[in-house]
Amino acid sequence: MIKLSPKLSQKFSYALLCFAAILAIAPVLLIVFMIIKNGASAISWEFLSSMPKDGMRGGGILPAILGTLSIVLCAITVTLPVGVCAAIYLNEYAKDNMLTRIIKLAIVNLAGVPSVVYGLFGFGIFVMFLKLGVSIIAGALTLSIMELPVIITTARSALNSVPYSFREASLSLGVSRWQTIRHVVLPSAIPGILTGAILSIARISGETAPILFTAAAFYVPHLPYSIFDQVMALPYHLYIISTQIPNMPKNVIYGTAFVLLMMVLTMSCVAIFARVYFRKRRKW
Amino acid sequence: MRKTLDFIVEKIIFICGIASIIFVVLIFSFLFKEGLSFFKDFGVLNFIGGRFWYPSSDPASFGILPLIVGSVFVTIGACAIAVPIGIMTALFISEIVPKGIRDILKSLVELMAAIPSVVVGFVGMITLVSLVKNIFNLPTGLTAFSGSIMLAFMAVPTIVTISEDAIRSVPWQYKQGALALGATKWQTIRRIVLKAAMPGIIAAVMLGIGRVIGETMAVMMITGNAAHIPHSIFEPVRTMTAAIAAEMGETVRGGMHYKSLFAIGLVLFLITFLINFIADLFLGKSKNT
Amino acid sequence: MVDKIKIENLSCYYNKKCVLDSLDLNVVENEILGVIGPANSGKTTFLRTINRMNDFDVTYSRKGNVYLDGDDIFDIDAENLRRRVGTLFAMPIPLPMSIYDNITYAPKRLGLVAKKSDLDGMVERVLKYASLWDEVKDRLDASAMKMSGGQQQRLCIARVLAINPEVILFDEPCSGLDPISTAKVEELMIELKEKYTIVLVTNNVKQASRVSDRTAFFLMGKLIEVDKTGKLFVSPKEKETEDYITGRFG
Repeated sequence: MIKLSPKLSQKFSYALLCFAAILAIAPVLLIVFMIIKNGASAISWEFLSSMPKDGMRGGGILPAILGTLSIVLCAITVTLPVGVCAAIYLNEYAKDNMLTRIIKLAIVNLAGVPSVVYGLFGFGIFVMFLKLGVSIIAGALTLSIMELPVIITTARSALNSVPYSFREASLSLGVSRWQTIRHVVLPSAIPGILTGAILSIARISGETAPILFTAAAFYVPHLPYSIFDQVMALPYHLYIISTQIPNMPKNVIYGTAFVLLMMVLTMSCVAIFARVYFRKRRKW
Repeated sequence: MRKTLDFIVEKIIFICGIASIIFVVLIFSFLFKEGLSFFKDFGVLNFIGGRFWYPSSDPASFGILPLIVGSVFVTIGACAIAVPIGIMTALFISEIVPKGIRDILKSLVELMAAIPSVVVGFVGMITLVSLVKNIFNLPTGLTAFSGSIMLAFMAVPTIVTISEDAIRSVPWQYKQGALALGATKWQTIRRIVLKAAMPGIIAAVMLGIGRVIGETMAVMMITGNAAHIPHSIFEPVRTMTAAIAAEMGETVRGGMHYKSLFAIGLVLFLITFLINFIADLFLGKSKNT
Repeated sequence: MVDKIKIENLSCYYNKKCVLDSLDLNVVENEILGVIGPANSGKTTFLRTINRMNDFDVTYSRKGNVYLDGDDIFDIDAENLRRRVGTLFAMPIPLPMSIYDNITYAPKRLGLVAKKSDLDGMVERVLKYASLWDEVKDRLDASAMKMSGGQQQRLCIARVLAINPEVILFDEPCSGLDPISTAKVEELMIELKEKYTIVLVTNNVKQASRVSDRTAFFLMGKLIEVDKTGKLFVSPKEKETEDYITGRFG
């Protein structure tokens, strides 16, 4: 083997690293490009605002869009308060003891449980045991447990970035601990918490496995009107039309993928811009 | 009055604080309850070691070896691709490119993590699958290999983000010292930075593996879903996650097949528990140094 | 001469390490007690014990008693104690809100002022007292974070006055300020002692000699001596005190 000079070996290695980075980001560009190129043309007002027709092969995807929105909104309403309270506990109250260590371990593991296992669990507990049936609420509760660790982690880092001196100043005036958190710490942490929440909404909008047996239906002839309804959902709809239905027109699949992707990407971008904006505006 | 309110609120906060523990215990006990009654009827060894997954034939056989092998094939394949690419990309982003480009690259990598797995699966079906079929001249492109490639790209963001953190938290004095001794920047990166960041990188790889094992939708759409023990990576496989997702709809509630899927869920839960536990240990270690 | 605060045999520890050793000291009503000493002599621990801010520090423990108006401060409610014993920190810490809200924040939380009109009057009164009113009366809605350091420190004083305390603790209140701002704050302290009892912890020996009525000298967690300021600075009893105030160490 030829021994390269250090200079040459550095050049060679840099090229290799650059190549790896290209490989890492090429797929995302490719996927986004493909979906936009083939999907944008399928989008029309009718596609977004009408019911599916001809065994999904025609018409629109309105019930799937509304279904996903209702599941996701329900889920975030449940998980955000619980997650923020948990973050408050960990960041403001918890002492460095065994219980805190167990909570942290539980959060780490909750974050790692496969999404399909959440689906299984949600089916077992919400659909069967609590008899909620396959419904928006069962799916939303399943997703909310799955999203809990993410919300806790982002909320906690938002709380943690509020300077400790603010707490001291408030406490030294005789204000109680909770009042200090409520009126000084939380308002300062809100931007970070909201950014995390938007990212979470984006993420769970695209989740399929957890709602597979808890909320999603192949086809529902009407729009969702109660949280105990079974609903169509965008990611599940995309899964069905791309794998289960023969002779599916490709542009309908692309159109559905386009809507789902845009929903997720728009929210992610909003969150990223919000984060940059609030960081610049931060007063301390 | 004010005191009572504070007291109540603080109790609620405490309950939310321990909610994570409650949920982990709840998930485990639910899976365990269903799994246990399955094991009683079928036997743990027959389950883990059984070579045949015929859940709906008569007599049914619930050996998950084919599913385990399927998951292992896909995971090993995905890691073989994702680990080098992920670590090299992390090095590239954190050590070589200027700050402006770094932020753009990071955002792009994170964007990949944001794309829903059904969308990835769909794009994989129409591009990768036929590509693999034609290049390797196979009867079908729905193989473990295609799944590996797809999953690799889904694991890359996890690996890049966490190893990049680890690499960047290497104290600059280390690098300064090596550079002052006349080492080139690349030698410094390879000998010093990589070594110092190793615990964090190992954690990143572990979490990447966890992501691959748990991935469901894309894998179900791409690997062909054949529940037999494959001879090579170029054959269709069915992973544990795909088995749950695909078969849950067909089972009779409370029946053997139904319970066997909970047993698979239990196995997955335990595997990911272990992986995350180890990753967390390494992450703690990387923070201490 | 009434003792406002009485400290008996107080010892404080962080992680079992003693930082304040068997302290006996009293603070007389309506006086300024200066506390001087080099770094790590236990001055700040002393303050944080009196207003019980150290309650939140798990590594902290203590022995001995502190009385406020004859009541053991560890028996009365900590939040009520902190309202009665206001604190000014070394660095001014305005809360991230407007000037107006900074002052009304604590009175609102504590339910001290009921009506909105009372709040306006109170804000004006304390800002005038802290001689800040003329500078900020036109921009009470502006963020307090945008004020200068000297203004921020006077705002913090006004904020403490708004909760109507009995004792005010100053923890090196001028360490980050320019000479003009420092002079203003010192002037203010002398005005304040008409109504309040003041403990002034400072690194600045000259400051103590300018404003305090009595001065206590701490060294390595021990009270070396305490006396009338004039006496302590002219004829200290202890050798260490003399060495410190003449600048031989510290």
